[in-house]
Amino acid sequence: MKQLELRYVAHVTTITRILQEDYQTEASTIRELLDELDARYGGLRGLFVNPDTGQLNLNTMIYYSDPGKIPVSVIDLDHQVVDGGTITFW
Amino acid sequence: MTARDNRVQTILWVDLSDGCTRLEALPEEWTRKYLGCRGVNARLLFDEVQAGTDPLGPDNVLFFGTGPMDGLPIGMGRMSVACKSPRGTVAEGSFGGFFGPELRRAGIDYLAIRGQADHPVYLYIEDEKAEIRDASHLWGLKTNETDTALRRELSDPDVQLRYIGPAAENLVHASPIFGNLNNSGGRAGCGEVMASKRLKAIAVRGSKGIRVADYDAFLEAYKVFRQRLDLATSRDMWTPVWSTYGAPVLSRLFTDIGNLMTRNASEMRWDYDKATRISCENYLDNYVTKAKACWCCPWTACQKLHEIKSGKYQGFKGGNYWAGQPVTFGSLIDNDDLDLILVLSGLCNQYGLDIFHVGYTLSWAMECFENGLLTKADTDGLELRFGCPDKEGLIDLIRKIAMREGFGDLLAKGCAEASRIVEQGSERFCLSVKGQELEGIAERNLYMVALGIALSEVGPDHTRWYPPYPCNPSLISKEELAELGIDLDLRLAFQGRNPEQKGRLLRWFTISRAIVESMPSCVFLVRDTLGLDMRPWWNLFKAATGIEFDYPEFVMAGERLLNLDRAFNIREGYRRADDHPPIRMATEDVPYFGYRKLDAAVFDPMLDEYYEANGWSVATSIPTRKKLEELGLGDVAGEFDALGIEVE
Repeated sequence: MKQLELRYVAHVTTITRILQEDYQTEASTIRELLDELDARYGGLRGLFVNPDTGQLNLNTMIYYSDPGKIPVSVIDLDHQVVDGGTITFW
Repeated sequence: MTARDNRVQTILWVDLSDGCTRLEALPEEWTRKYLGCRGVNARLLFDEVQAGTDPLGPDNVLFFGTGPMDGLPIGMGRMSVACKSPRGTVAEGSFGGFFGPELRRAGIDYLAIRGQADHPVYLYIEDEKAEIRDASHLWGLKTNETDTALRRELSDPDVQLRYIGPAAENLVHASPIFGNLNNSGGRAGCGEVMASKRLKAIAVRGSKGIRVADYDAFLEAYKVFRQRLDLATSRDMWTPVWSTYGAPVLSRLFTDIGNLMTRNASEMRWDYDKATRISCENYLDNYVTKAKACWCCPWTACQKLHEIKSGKYQGFKGGNYWAGQPVTFGSLIDNDDLDLILVLSGLCNQYGLDIFHVGYTLSWAMECFENGLLTKADTDGLELRFGCPDKEGLIDLIRKIAMREGFGDLLAKGCAEASRIVEQGSERFCLSVKGQELEGIAERNLYMVALGIALSEVGPDHTRWYPPYPCNPSLISKEELAELGIDLDLRLAFQGRNPEQKGRLLRWFTISRAIVESMPSCVFLVRDTLGLDMRPWWNLFKAATGIEFDYPEFVMAGERLLNLDRAFNIREGYRRADDHPPIRMATEDVPYFGYRKLDAAVFDPMLDEYYEANGWSVATSIPTRKKLEELGLGDVAGEFDALGIEVE
C-alpha cells in the first residue's frame, strides 16, 4: 500500500471539491491512479485522458514528485508512482 | 448614430499650459505601419518628446491610445498610456475596461497631453469636444473618492474615467493611472507625469459607432479566434485554468517548482499550506462577490470584486486578485493572511500606488531590517520583519508611503533609489531593473523570463513578451513555423533552463505581443497558438480596417514598435549595460532546487542572441542602420546621426 499526497488545483477542484488529501493506494502508475480516483470523483479521468487516444489531454497538466525531489511534469500515463510521492493535478 | 471609418485614426492635442485643444487625423499610412494603440503611441512618443526632456516638465507628453479594434468584440477595451518615465526610459502600460471604447465613440483615438496647468484640472470630453475644468476640489482625494465624486458631479454613473491618487500627486515612484476603481496602467510612472501636469482626471462620453470595413470577413475571423479560446476546443493547458481562476492559481503550483519569490526571493519555495491559504481557490470561495469583465471579454471575466466577510477587516471591499498580489503582499513578505493581502493591495489602489513598487520595496526593507541595515530608529518604530508581526503598522505604512511621511518617504522613492541612500550593500536586496521593481515572475527557473525582464524597455513588464510558458510545441509543426517565418525549434526554445534559442524566442514573443497590444487586444487571450501564429489577428485587423497588407508586412509592424521603443531609450543614453538581471539573480543560486545564478556565462550568450536576431549591435544594443532602414525607420537613424549616437 502506498501513501500519496494528492493536490488539486483550480478547475480540478470543481470535481474533487477538496484542495488536497492524503491518499492510500495500490496503484503503481498514474493511469491506474486516475482510474481509481475517477471512481471517487466522477469525471476526473475524462479531464486528463483523451478517450480517443488514451493519452494525456493537451490542455491539462499533472506534476509528480518522488519524496524530497523536485516535481516533474508527467508526459506518460504509465509514469510510476511510489510511496510518499506527491501528485498535483491541474 | 454616426459610424466612424476604422482606417484613419484621430488625435486630440491638449495643451494644459495655454488651454488649447485641437483634433487632427493621423496619417492614414500610420494604421498600416504602426497598427494603433501601443504602436502609434511609440511613434508619437519618439517624435514629440525630444532627448533629454524633463520627464516632470511641461514638454513631456502623456499619450492615451486606443486602436482600430477598440470598441469591437476583439479589443477588450484595451488601451495604452505612454510618456517618458521619470526614470528616463519609455513609460508605457495598458488598461482594460471601457474607457478606450468610449473614447473612440467620442470620435477620438488618441489623447496627447502636454504643458502644465497652473492649478489642478480635469479634462471632460464629449463627442470630439474637450473642456478643461477645475479640479481643485478633487486634488488630494483617493482614487475611489475621485471616482465617486466625478460621477456625482457629472450626474452620469456610466461616464468613463481615468484618474490619479494622492501617491501620484506626491510624485511617489512608479505611481500609475487608475480607472474602474481597481485597474491601473502605466506603472513606470505615468501617474507621476499626469500629476506633474496637474491633471487629476479624464472623463469621456461618446455616442458614435465604429464601422467594421468587412463585416462578414470579420465574423469569420472572429470564429477562428474564438475557437482557440473555447474550453471545449482549446488545445492549451492554461485555457481552462486561466479562464476560470486567473493568474493567482500559480502560487500553489509555483512554490513546488521553485518559481515563487519568497522572503524577497532569498528563497524560491514557500510552505505549501501558506500558499494554499492565499490561493485563488480560497479567494474565490470566501471573498469574491462578483465577477467583472472588460469590454466584450470572451472569457469568464478575470477581474473580481471582493469583500472581507469576517474578522478585524470585515467589510473591507476591493477588487482584483491576480498573479501579483499573492507574491508582492504574500510570499515575498512571508504573509499568509489573505485578509491582510487584500487590505494592503486595496489601500494601494485607493492611494494610487503601484503594488509592485510597494511590495518589492517592503520586502527589500524587511531584508535590510533582518540584516541590521535598518533599525526601528529608521522605521518609525515599526518591527519590519518577514512574517509581518505588526500588521497595523504595515497597513499604516501604505498611507505613509503615499503621503511621503516619515519612513514612508524613503520607501516612496522605490527600492533602487532607497538602496542608494541606505548603502551598506543593501543594493543586493533590491530586485529592480532600470530602476523599476520586478513584478512577480521568477527568473532563474525560466531563462526567457530573465531575459525578458532585463530587456524590457519600460523596466520589468512580463506583458510585453508573455507567455514564457509554452503552448504545447506539438500544436504547431516545423513546416508551419517555417511558413510563418519563425526559425525556432520549439522543444528546445521552451526548455526553461537551457539558454539555447532564448534570444530568438523572446524576440518573437516581443514582436507578437507588440502586435496584439497595437491592435489592441488582451494579454490573457494569447493562448493556444495565438502567440505564434498571428494570422488570426491579421485577418481580424484587415477585416476591421479594410487595409490590405500581406502577413510579413503585418508582422513587421510589431518589429517596428520593438525598434522604436529601443530607439527612444538609446536616445536617452541606455545601452547594453542596462539590460541585466537584478544583482540577487545574477549572483546567487536558488537554494534547494539547484537552479543556478544568471551570471555572465549564462546570461550574456542569450543577450547576444537577442541583439543579433534583432539586427542590433551586440556591443551597444543600438539598432543598426540597415535594420532601421529595412523597417522604414530611416528617420530614426538620421536622428541618431544628428545626436552623435554611433550607428553601425
